[in-house]
Formats: sequence, C-alpha cells, structure tokens
Amino acid sequence: MVRLSKWLLKEAGTGVNKTLSEILVCPLSKQALRVCEEPPSLISDSIGVSFPMKDGIPCLVPTDGKILDTDDTMKHDNAADDSANNK
Amino acid sequence: MALRLVTKNLSSRISPKLCSASLLHSHATSFGFKEVREEEKSQMVGKVFSNVASNYDLMNDFMSGGLHRLWKDRLVSKLSPFPGMKHLDVAGGTGDVAFRILESVNSIKRRALQDPLNDDLQEETRIYVCDINPNMLDVGKNRALEKGLGEDKSLVWVQGDAEALSFEDNSMDGYTIAFGIRNVTHIEKVLSEAYRVLKRGGRFLCLELSHVDIPVFKELYDFYSFSVIPRLGEIVAGDRESYQYLVESIRRFPPQEKFASMIADAGFQKVEYENLVGGVVAIHSGLKI
Repeated sequence: MVRLSKWLLKEAGTGVNKTLSEILVCPLSKQALRVCEEPPSLISDSIGVSFPMKDGIPCLVPTDGKILDTDDTMKHDNAADDSANNK
Repeated sequence: MALRLVTKNLSSRISPKLCSASLLHSHATSFGFKEVREEEKSQMVGKVFSNVASNYDLMNDFMSGGLHRLWKDRLVSKLSPFPGMKHLDVAGGTGDVAFRILESVNSIKRRALQDPLNDDLQEETRIYVCDINPNMLDVGKNRALEKGLGEDKSLVWVQGDAEALSFEDNSMDGYTIAFGIRNVTHIEKVLSEAYRVLKRGGRFLCLELSHVDIPVFKELYDFYSFSVIPRLGEIVAGDRESYQYLVESIRRFPPQEKFASMIADAGFQKVEYENLVGGVVAIHSGLKI
C-alpha cells in the first residue's frame, strides 16, 4: 500500500511539474521558475538557485535552494554534497 | 510588586514602536519559555513538528477533546469559499483546513446542479497547501490519497517558508493559517507576505491558540496546559518535550489585541477577532482593500 502510494505520488509529480512552474515563483526574488526534469527541480534563473522536488512536492524553502554554477545544472551533485555538509 | 508595576507603566509610555520591536524580537528568540538564538528557532521548531507529524491529528483530538474540528469548521465558514477560488493555506501540513475548503467548494457545485459556468469555475479552484515541514506535508498528502483526493488537481502541496512565500503578488483570494503562526520566527514577515500574496478584496484568516482572561477558567486552563498536555504527549506520542514546547509557545504568543494590531500594521483593514471557548482559541481576520 505504501509502495503503491509512493508510486502514485511520483507519477502525479511529473505531469504536474509544468503547471507548478506556471503558478509558483522564486521565494527570494519572486521571479518566474523554470522546470528541470532530471533531477526534478525548479530553477530560479534570476538568482541562479535550484529548488528540489520530492515526490511531486516542490521544496521552495529558501534554505533548501542550491546555488548553481553559471555553466549548467551538471554540477548539481557537488552542490548537493555541499549543502548536505552545511546542514 | 510595586517595582513591577512602575516598570510596566514606564515601558508603556516609551514609544510604542520600541515596545513592538522588543516584543517581536522576543518572539523571534523564544522557543516556548526558553531563550534561543534567532537562527536556531526555525530548526528547533522543525524538529518538534517532524517528531509530532505522525501523531499530530490524533493528539489534536485528544488535547482538544475533538473541539479542534469545530474550530476549523468555524474558520472555513468565515472564509466563504467559492468555486474557482485560489486559496493559500499556510502551515497547513496535514491538510485539515484545505480538505474542509475543498469540500465546501464542492458542495456549492453540487447545489448549483447543471450549471455549465460553475463546472468550468470548479475546474479552476486551486487550494495551495504550504508547509515548511516535509513530514507534515507527507501526512497531508497521504490523507488526501485516503480520501480519494490524490488525483484532484485542485490541491497543490508546496514546501515553503511562510516568511518567504513562493507565490506572486495579488494572486490569492484567501489566506488561512491555522495553529501555525505561533511557531514562526518572525511574525511580521509572515503577515506582510500574507498581505503581498492576497488580491485586493482578499481575506486573511488566522486560527490560533490564544489567551484566556476569565478568572477560575484561566487557572483550570493553565493546569490543563502544563500538567495534563505534556503528560498526554508522553503517553500517546512518547514525546513530552514537544508538547511542553507547544503549551509554552501559546503563552509566549501576543494576546488577542496585540496580535490584531500587528495584523493592522501589515496593512490589513477591518481587523477583528473572535474568541472561542473563552479565548482558548481566537480567529483573527483582516481584509486587503
């Protein structure tokens, strides 16, 4: 039952991502967000921060944001390690 | 005793702004009756709610004798939900208020029968549930699934900070915060964010545990709060400390009149409050004109 509900949550997540980016804004700059499919996240280009999505729930708490390098989101894993260490 | 009275008089004569600032500062650095660093408060509160999340609804029933359900019903009735509305429920983790609003909107739809305009509006209804704690949101999302609302696109779950909301200005018809504002670090930021996201004509509603002044009843309530509740927390949830924090935080929160003036300071008009159960809870409301 738990596995089924987790799977349902995940499936519901991917379709809803696009709609979310249309409604939600960056909690810090209040500017628009961009969807990133893999890893699922919402990017705030205005301040170069990415916010994760877990089970279809966007995590837009300012302290959950990971600062992106100007190149691209490939360095996401390193940033994730950093923020994990900071926490 | 006399000295306390004198200092009390003095402090009320000092500029009200100073008083407000010190009150807010003391809220930001208080964790129940303990003094903490401002930057720590959010984490400590986070731990409390991660601990209580799985038993949250059960404990609410125990502690309030089921009354919290009626209080939330009253809150939602003051909101006057309508199909097509965009509503934000902050600190609404386990979904109690959001589900009630959704039910209320759906019941309007049923009453309207075959009204094509209403059907389209119904599609547009959006209730955003925002909570800073992921455990509380998980409980809420699972409850939605159990109620068969898992696929309902009217409900949108977002993890966010009430002090820095991820919604646009002037986007919400309604804003509710039930039993949440007591736990934030900066009350004034939460109020100003609420003001920002509400549309003109939008309603702010806050349901919160408040202050009892009625003699005798006050003493009984104090006894219940400090002797019974933490013990109940220990027995039912295996967590005495979290419930100790909860009852202390109620006493540290500004009283009804003071909180009402803070809401007005944020820009809201027609600010009023209604006491329930002699002030055990209060519903504060304001309008963004």
